[in-house]
Amino acid sequence: MSLAVGIVGGGGFGRALALAAARNGRRVVLWSRQPRDFQSTQIRTTTELGDLEATEVIFMAVPSPHVRGLAEELGHHLDGSHLIAHVSRGLVGEDLLTLSELLRRVTPVRRIGVLAGPLVAAGLAEGQPGGGIVGTMFPEVAMAVREAIGGPRLRIYTTDDVLGAELASAFVGMVGVALGYAKAAGYGPATLAVLATRAMAEAVRIGQARGAEERTFAGLAGTGDLIAAVADDGRPEIALGRALFEGMSVTEAALRTGGAYVEGVAIAQQVVEYAHRHGIETPIATAMTKLIRGGANPASLVAELMTRPARRE
Amino acid sequence: MKVLPTHPLRLPRLRTYVPKPTDPKIFWFNSERTDIVQEVVRRIMERYEADESVELIVNDAAYHEMRRLETRTDEGASRGLEYWRSVIRRVGRTSWEGKHETLREITERMAYDVAGNFDPRVYRFAARVVPSLLTGVMKPSKLVHTVLSRGATLEDLVRGEGPIEKIRRLQNKGTIVLVPTHSSNLDSLAIAWVLFREGLSPAVYGAGKNLFTNPIISFFMHNLGAYRVDRRIKAQLYKDVLKTYSSILIERGYHSLFFPGGTRSRSGAIERHLKLGLAGTGVEAFARNQSQGIHRPVYFVPATINYALVLEAETLIDDHLKESGRARYIIEDDEFSRIERWIAFFNRLQNFETACVIRFAEPMDPFCNPVDDDGCSLAPDGRRIDPASYVTWRGSRAVDYARDAAYTRDLGQAIAAKYISETVIMATQLVAHVIFRRLVRATPGLDLFSRLRYRGEIAIPMDELLPELGRARDALAELERAGRVHLSPLLRRASPDRFFERALAAWDGYHQRPLARRTGGALIMEDPNLILFYQNRLRDFAIEIAGSHPADQVAARDIATMETLR
Repeated sequence: MSLAVGIVGGGGFGRALALAAARNGRRVVLWSRQPRDFQSTQIRTTTELGDLEATEVIFMAVPSPHVRGLAEELGHHLDGSHLIAHVSRGLVGEDLLTLSELLRRVTPVRRIGVLAGPLVAAGLAEGQPGGGIVGTMFPEVAMAVREAIGGPRLRIYTTDDVLGAELASAFVGMVGVALGYAKAAGYGPATLAVLATRAMAEAVRIGQARGAEERTFAGLAGTGDLIAAVADDGRPEIALGRALFEGMSVTEAALRTGGAYVEGVAIAQQVVEYAHRHGIETPIATAMTKLIRGGANPASLVAELMTRPARRE
Repeated sequence: MKVLPTHPLRLPRLRTYVPKPTDPKIFWFNSERTDIVQEVVRRIMERYEADESVELIVNDAAYHEMRRLETRTDEGASRGLEYWRSVIRRVGRTSWEGKHETLREITERMAYDVAGNFDPRVYRFAARVVPSLLTGVMKPSKLVHTVLSRGATLEDLVRGEGPIEKIRRLQNKGTIVLVPTHSSNLDSLAIAWVLFREGLSPAVYGAGKNLFTNPIISFFMHNLGAYRVDRRIKAQLYKDVLKTYSSILIERGYHSLFFPGGTRSRSGAIERHLKLGLAGTGVEAFARNQSQGIHRPVYFVPATINYALVLEAETLIDDHLKESGRARYIIEDDEFSRIERWIAFFNRLQNFETACVIRFAEPMDPFCNPVDDDGCSLAPDGRRIDPASYVTWRGSRAVDYARDAAYTRDLGQAIAAKYISETVIMATQLVAHVIFRRLVRATPGLDLFSRLRYRGEIAIPMDELLPELGRARDALAELERAGRVHLSPLLRRASPDRFFERALAAWDGYHQRPLARRTGGALIMEDPNLILFYQNRLRDFAIEIAGSHPADQVAARDIATMETLR
C-alpha cells in the first residue's frame, strides 16, 4: 500500500489538495492548527506535525511567513527519504529567497519542488479540468505529485527550472493585485494586457538576474497563470486589488477577502529592493509599492508609467 | 625538454610493494589497478548490454578521435588514425557480438589510458625533496640548509587553515572528496604539499592531460596517483569511462581530489557556477555502495587556494579578455612552462610573509549536510540523520542518474557558496580592488573594455588611497567576524600603508608590466588588466565594502554586476 499524502495547512488550498488526493484514492494526513472535518474516511486531520513522518510527499500549503517556523518544526520528523512540494507564491527577504531554497535550509529534505500554474482552490476541490506545473530537479517529486493529485482532469507538467517556476508564480501573485486594482478602476482589456505583459517583462529581468530561464515565464507557471488571473478566476489577489482601489488599507482589504494572506502585497517591496541593488528597472513593481502603501493617486501612478520612454520590447 | 618522452614513465621494480596496514589507501592502488580497469569495462558493457546504439557509441568515439588526431602531424597520431579507421570499417560489418567486442576493446584502451600509477618511492621522494627544491628555487643560497631541514621556508610560505584535525579523523571513516578552487597550475603541488605536511592522506586526482606534456611534472603526476583527463577528447564513451573510473575509486575508498571549476579561473574571480563534472561521481559512488549494502560515507571538503601572486596571472587575464578565450581552452605556453618566471615568482613571494593560504571548509556529506566529528550527517536541527535515506525511494536504495544529477547540482551550489565564505583575501587583491574601484568611479557609464584602455591615466592621491584601503580592510574584517570571508594574516594585522607597500613590492618585479607606480603623492594605475585580475577575487564583496561615498557605492555595484566570461 502506498504511503499517505501529507499536507501542511488547512486553508482553502490545503483542503482542495486533500480532496484532490482523496479523489485519486490516496490516504491523506492533513495538518492544521484547527481540527477540520472532511467527512471522508481517507482524510485524517491532525494538529501534530509529527504525524506527517509516515508520509512520502508533503504539500506545504501555508502562507510564506509561516513556512519557516512550521518547516523547522516539521523538519524534526523528516529525513532524506521525504519529498516536499510547496504551493506558495511567496518569496523571503530582500534577496528574493524562494520557498524551496528556504525549505532546503531549514529541513533535511532535499527532494523539493514547487506546484505552480493556474490552480485555484475551488477548481481543484471540484475537479474542474485544468493543469499545473511542478518545478523540481527530482523526477520522483514530479512523479509523487502527479500520483497524488494528477489524473484525467488535472494535467501535471514538469520543469527542472525550479527557480523560474517559483519566481514566475510569485510575480503573477503580485500582478494579480495590480490587475484587480486596474479592473476596479475601469480599465479595459487592452490596458490590462499591457499591464500584465510588461509586468512579466519585469519578472523575466529579475528571473534572469537570479539565474532562472526565460522560457519558464512563458509557460504555465507564468503566462498560463497570468491568463487565468486576467480572466479573474476568483483568486484572492484580484479581490484584494479591487479593495485597495476602493481606498481600503491592506489590512482592511485582506479582511474583505476572507482574511487570506495575499503574498503579492509583500513581494512588490521585496522586488523593488532587490532590483535597486542589482540595477534592474521595475517600474510596475515600484508603482505597486506606492499603491500598497496607500495614499497614491491612481491617475498620477498611471501617468508615471505611461510617460516613461518606450523602448524595443 | 622537447626531446624527452611525454608518455608516462614508471620506475622499474624488482619486488612488488606490499602495503603496510597503516599505509593510506592509495598505496594499494597498483595492486588494484587491473581490477579497477576491468570493473570500468564491465560496467560500461553492462550499460550498453541491451542497447541498440552500440554501433553509434563506437562510431561517435571514432569520429571524435579522428577529428582530434587529424589536426596533429606526429607519428602517434597517424597510428591512432589508422586504428580508428579500422574500427569504423569493422563495426559497420560485424555481428552483434563483434560490435560489443569492439566496444569492449575501445573501452579497455581508454580505461588504461586514464588509469594512473602510484609509486610509494616517488611519493616519499617527492615529499622529501620537492619542498626543498621549491624552497631552493625561492632562495638558492639556502638550498643546502633547506634540503637538510626539509623545507622550513616553504612551511612559512604555504599555510593550511580550517578543520584539518576533523578531516584527518574523517579520512579513516569514509572517502574524502577534496574540491578546491583552481587558479594556478601550482595548485596541485601546493595542495599535495599541504596534505602531506598536515598528515592528510594523498589523494588520487584527475589531472588535465596538458600537465603531462611537461616530462618532469608528468613523471610526478603519473606516479603520485593522478589519472589523465584529456579534455580534448569529446567522445561520449570517454566521458563515461572517466566517470565510471572516478566513481569506482571513490567507492573503493580512494580519497579523491577534483578541481570542480574545470580549468583555472581565467578572470581571477572566485568560481561561481560549478558543474562539478567528475566530482559529481562522489554522489553516484555513495549511492552505488549503499545499493550494495556498503555503508561507506563520502565527505566533500571544499577548499580555497589563495595566492598573493598568481604565477600565470598575465596569460589568464589576457585569455579571459580575448574573444578567443574559450577556444584556447588548454594553455600550454603560459608562465607555468617558463622556468625564469618561476624564479621571479618565488623571489617575490619570499618577501611576502604567507604567499599561499589553503583553507579547508567544514566537510559535508553528498547531500550538503554538515557532518559531526564522528562523520555522522547532521540535520539543520543538529540531529543525526542517515545519509542513505537520500538514495532511498519507496523502500529501495539504488543509483538513479537523474536524481543524482540533481543532488550534484545542489552540491555545486553549496560548494560555490563555501568558496566565497572560505576565501582568504590577500593584500594584493584588496589593493587592486580599491584601485579598480577608483578606475570605475572615474569612468562612469563605460563598459569594461573601454575602462581597460585607461593605462597610466588614473592618478589616485596617496592621502586618499591609504584611508580608503583602511576602510575597505575594516569592512572586510567585519565580514570576517560574521563568518562571511577570511583575511590573510598580513591584511588582518598590518597598517594600510604597510600592506599597500607589500602588495606593490610583490607585484613589482614579478609581473612584466608594472601594475601601478608612484609619482609624487599619487599612485598611477598602469595595468588595468592585471589590476582587474587581482580585484576580481573581491567581486562578491564589492558592495558591502564600498563605504558610504555614493560614487563608491555606484562603482561597487558596477563591479559586482560586471560581466565575466568565467
